[in-house]
Amino acid sequence: MIEFQNVYKIYESGSHALRDVNLHIDDGEFAFIVGASGAGKSTFLKLIMREELPTSGEVTVNNFRLSRLKRKQVPYFRRTMGIVFQDFRLIDTMTVYENVAFSMRVVGKTKREINRRVHHVLQLLDLQGKSNRYPPSLSGGEQQRVGLARALVNNPSLIIADEPTGNVDPQMSHDIVDMLSRINEKGTTVLMVTHQHELVHQFHHRVITLEGGRIVSDTGRPLHTEQVSLDATADVTAGGVRV
Amino acid sequence: MKSHVVRYLIREGCRNTWQNRLMALASVGVLICCLLLTGFSYLVFVNIDHMFQNAYEQNVMAVYLHTDQTDEQVTAIGESLQAMDNVASVTFLSKEDFLAQYGEALADNTMESFQGEENPLPDTYIVALKDLALFQNTLNAIENMSGVEEVSYDANTAQTLTRVRRMVLGVGGAIIVVLLAVSLFIIVNTIKLTVYSRRLEIYIMKSVGATDGFVRFPFVVEGVLLGFTAGGLGYGLIFALYYSLQQNFVFENPLLSLVPFSAEWLPLLVGFLLGGVLVGVCGSVISMSKYLKQEGGIRP
Repeated sequence: MIEFQNVYKIYESGSHALRDVNLHIDDGEFAFIVGASGAGKSTFLKLIMREELPTSGEVTVNNFRLSRLKRKQVPYFRRTMGIVFQDFRLIDTMTVYENVAFSMRVVGKTKREINRRVHHVLQLLDLQGKSNRYPPSLSGGEQQRVGLARALVNNPSLIIADEPTGNVDPQMSHDIVDMLSRINEKGTTVLMVTHQHELVHQFHHRVITLEGGRIVSDTGRPLHTEQVSLDATADVTAGGVRV
Repeated sequence: MKSHVVRYLIREGCRNTWQNRLMALASVGVLICCLLLTGFSYLVFVNIDHMFQNAYEQNVMAVYLHTDQTDEQVTAIGESLQAMDNVASVTFLSKEDFLAQYGEALADNTMESFQGEENPLPDTYIVALKDLALFQNTLNAIENMSGVEEVSYDANTAQTLTRVRRMVLGVGGAIIVVLLAVSLFIIVNTIKLTVYSRRLEIYIMKSVGATDGFVRFPFVVEGVLLGFTAGGLGYGLIFALYYSLQQNFVFENPLLSLVPFSAEWLPLLVGFLLGGVLVGVCGSVISMSKYLKQEGGIRP
């Protein structure tokens, strides 16, 4: 669950990044955040990830009231979410397997747990043959799937995707949003920031539009999304593996 | 932290060191130079102190006894002097020996009239002190001993030596502290270059929920590895350099002789290893703490 209450963010430079943002995203929703550059999308995400604090107002994510969170509690809050970046942010000196396992090592999982779960997620994202490859030898789409695997591996209740299709071709873009949709169908909340309107229109999800730091439109949760969710089968990918 | 996590982080620290081996080599090189400078400052200081100690021992006092003392009384005074805490050595100079030494400077016939019972010179003890800072106390104690007629000494030399030694101690200590601080500064800047290239890793660790301790641990391991390597190699080098110095500079005057390395090997070994590890770990942790504190500013 994500909730913004009268949130303002003014940077030290004086720029008003967000103005009076009020928003509620329920558990299990899929929402696109769209807007031109400078609309406040990045600030919006930074507030959710607790990389920044609001100048005023309250942000609550996964039942954590972020302005009251102590520095020591931040890592435990971040473990409740998975983040996918536009530029993948993979560690080039680690193999695909190691990059994905990294997230689990951070939270103190055992080798056996890591081995089982990482192979499972790699298979889920059709990356099982690439586990010993290094990121620079993969295509953009494959790297983004590794990024997605890393975000998914700890089974977070919230996935934040920051322009995940920005560096991949249109077909792969569609595939990535499709994968995110299927993950969402299993109950994971997905928040995806994008500026690709045509991509947004191909999927029937909630669309929140930011402009000049304000929410200028919010389609709300489409009714049929819940319908699709109820009908969802166990098949997430062609491999037919459960998240 | 669970033991399997600690094992993983130690492995990571080693892996990171190996992957950044060029920078690690540079850090070790810089650290060795700094340790050598500090180590040599220490050895110079130890040697100067040693020379002062030698000079102290040269700076003796002559304790003249009353001429009416029996042999037993003379021996008892010698034992009392020897038993004093601040006395390093006591040498007995009998009045016959005293006369013989004096006599060398006099004409032969003059000596003859002073032999035996006619000898006017007193039995004497030559006393060397351990610590000249306690000179006055020791002097008073000796002067108050029964049987002691007079104590002859050079108070000025004693005071000057004590003052100079204190100054050397202060300056030597300050130089070592400054050198350690400079080492830390250089190491921080050298390691900063490695950390800069790994800020992406730090950012990813934080974004997936790593605690500060988890992020810091491999850097600490790296610091220990670098510090230990630099300390060990530096110790070997200082041993070799000092040894060759000792072989090449042999002085006739014992006052100028170099302190043997064997007398200082333990403080040097402990100092090099501890100093290396301390500077390595502090350098490593200080270099990365900026990225650890940064929230959201890290956009590699």
